[in-house]
Amino acid sequence: MSLSNKIYSLFKNKYTLILMVLLSIFIGVVSAQEDVSCYHCHTKVVNEFRNNIHYDKGFNCASCHGGAEKSNSSLISNTVMSGDFVGRPTRNNITGICSKCHVKETEDYKTSIHWDAIQKGHPEAATCTDCHGIHEIRAIKDPNSSSNHHNSPVTCAKCHSNNEMMSAWYYGIKADRFDTYKESFHWRALDRGYTLVATCADCHENHKTKSHTDPTSSTYPENIPKTCGKENCHEGVNFDAKVAGGLVHDKESLHTAELKWNKTGMDSNMKDYFLGPFDLAYWIAIFFKILTTTVIGFFTGMVILDFLSRLKIQRRF
Amino acid sequence: MSRQKIIEALESNKNGERNMGEIYFKRFTFNQLAEHWAMIGTFMLLVISGMPLKFPDAWWSPVIINFLGGFAMRTQIHHAAGIGMVILGVYHVVYHVFVDKESLLDRKVWPTLKDAKDFWQTIMFYIGKAQAPKYGRYSWKEKFDYWGAFWGMVMLCVTGLIMLYPFQAMEVIPYAYVHLSTIVHTDEALLATLFIFIVHWWNVHYSPEVFPMSKAWLTGNLSEEQMKHEHPLEYEEVMRQMNEKGDKSFSR
Repeated sequence: MSLSNKIYSLFKNKYTLILMVLLSIFIGVVSAQEDVSCYHCHTKVVNEFRNNIHYDKGFNCASCHGGAEKSNSSLISNTVMSGDFVGRPTRNNITGICSKCHVKETEDYKTSIHWDAIQKGHPEAATCTDCHGIHEIRAIKDPNSSSNHHNSPVTCAKCHSNNEMMSAWYYGIKADRFDTYKESFHWRALDRGYTLVATCADCHENHKTKSHTDPTSSTYPENIPKTCGKENCHEGVNFDAKVAGGLVHDKESLHTAELKWNKTGMDSNMKDYFLGPFDLAYWIAIFFKILTTTVIGFFTGMVILDFLSRLKIQRRF
Repeated sequence: MSRQKIIEALESNKNGERNMGEIYFKRFTFNQLAEHWAMIGTFMLLVISGMPLKFPDAWWSPVIINFLGGFAMRTQIHHAAGIGMVILGVYHVVYHVFVDKESLLDRKVWPTLKDAKDFWQTIMFYIGKAQAPKYGRYSWKEKFDYWGAFWGMVMLCVTGLIMLYPFQAMEVIPYAYVHLSTIVHTDEALLATLFIFIVHWWNVHYSPEVFPMSKAWLTGNLSEEQMKHEHPLEYEEVMRQMNEKGDKSFSR
């Protein structure tokens, strides 16, 4: 029996035929569900979109970008870009797209300093997609999500460690916020896999991010006790709000706090209370650095001298 | 002088040159030994569980944390050992101030003018310009060891407790000092660790005089040889006292 005969007899088998018919129906159904028309050109984007939580929930390109709903066939790709099609939204308009569903989140975001900056004509300020991703928006609980709790520092650092962006005259924010956060127990624990610690969004709020000089901000000194005492964090903490008015992010700059303080224009009572201890604390910190270095240096020298004297080579001196 | 009595007289040696054979001098009481053992235990646990956090970027940091069973376990070990060390410190002060009947001022551990002289003489000896100083019960090095550890204990326990209960502490002190505690705690811990590993271990382990180690931390005793060599003034004093008591068997 030759090979062609073998194949021929295979096709005569009714089960094989039924199987092939089912397979082609399956392929047809699957491909009909996908956004074939956009996929033809925007392959990379659509592949990213397949990791998107919205894809799992049954949304498609048109849900955000607008245009005709029936966009499943390559033949009608012209009609996709019709009607309310927005294509690539401007950075000012991204909230407009997300707010169609995420009303509460957008409302919160619009009280933030980020939105404030966009309104003032600095469109590079963070908007929805900068934290959540553009086409690859994952669920918050997904460990790969850029807005997952433990990815928050890296996500914020994308902009906040960018010296060029932060030092622009209309921001004047220090670019060492992530570096100074790295000094904290929170980061050191997080970095070693202990995720039950505060990251950026826990103190600064995820959507309602505000300047620490804004009295409604979670990081305004008066509000810090409440922020630290959040549910699942340091619940039930009790301390004078003045006490917490510290430069949490500034490790070595305790002494130079005054310069920065003067810029913020805060209540002068708090300034006195706050600067006094930090000034002293700076000198105490310096004292311990000197103490450690001197004692260890001196006694290591003594050990070496002791060793040399035991070798009976002290006459060389 | 009650602690300096000769506690043990073993069988006479085979040459018969001496009546009493090898004699031992009581260096530490059992209470002191137990305190030192507890100190070793808590100190080593604290160093191992604490240093990975002081140097989070070092290659050995994650290695040690994984070895200890994860970050949460590391923290628990550090807290438990830390509380153990606080209890030890409190016990030490309470015992040696209130329980020990010897008058506080008579203790040999206080720094004296002789220690300053001995210190200078030691340096002169190292550069070959003087004889080695003769020490009493505690040399200036040992006194520095003790008071250094005392100071370190106070610093580390206070700052450690502040960091363990930061919000309770903030009811009393400003945040600036809680922040300062982290700096003082880690700096002081590094100082203590380096001092123990370099200076203390040189004196009691690595130094050719005692290598591989001085067994006084296990037995609490010093041999006559060690006593004559390291604490000659104390040795003479003990011998003089024994002779005054009329115990002729110790006269040599």
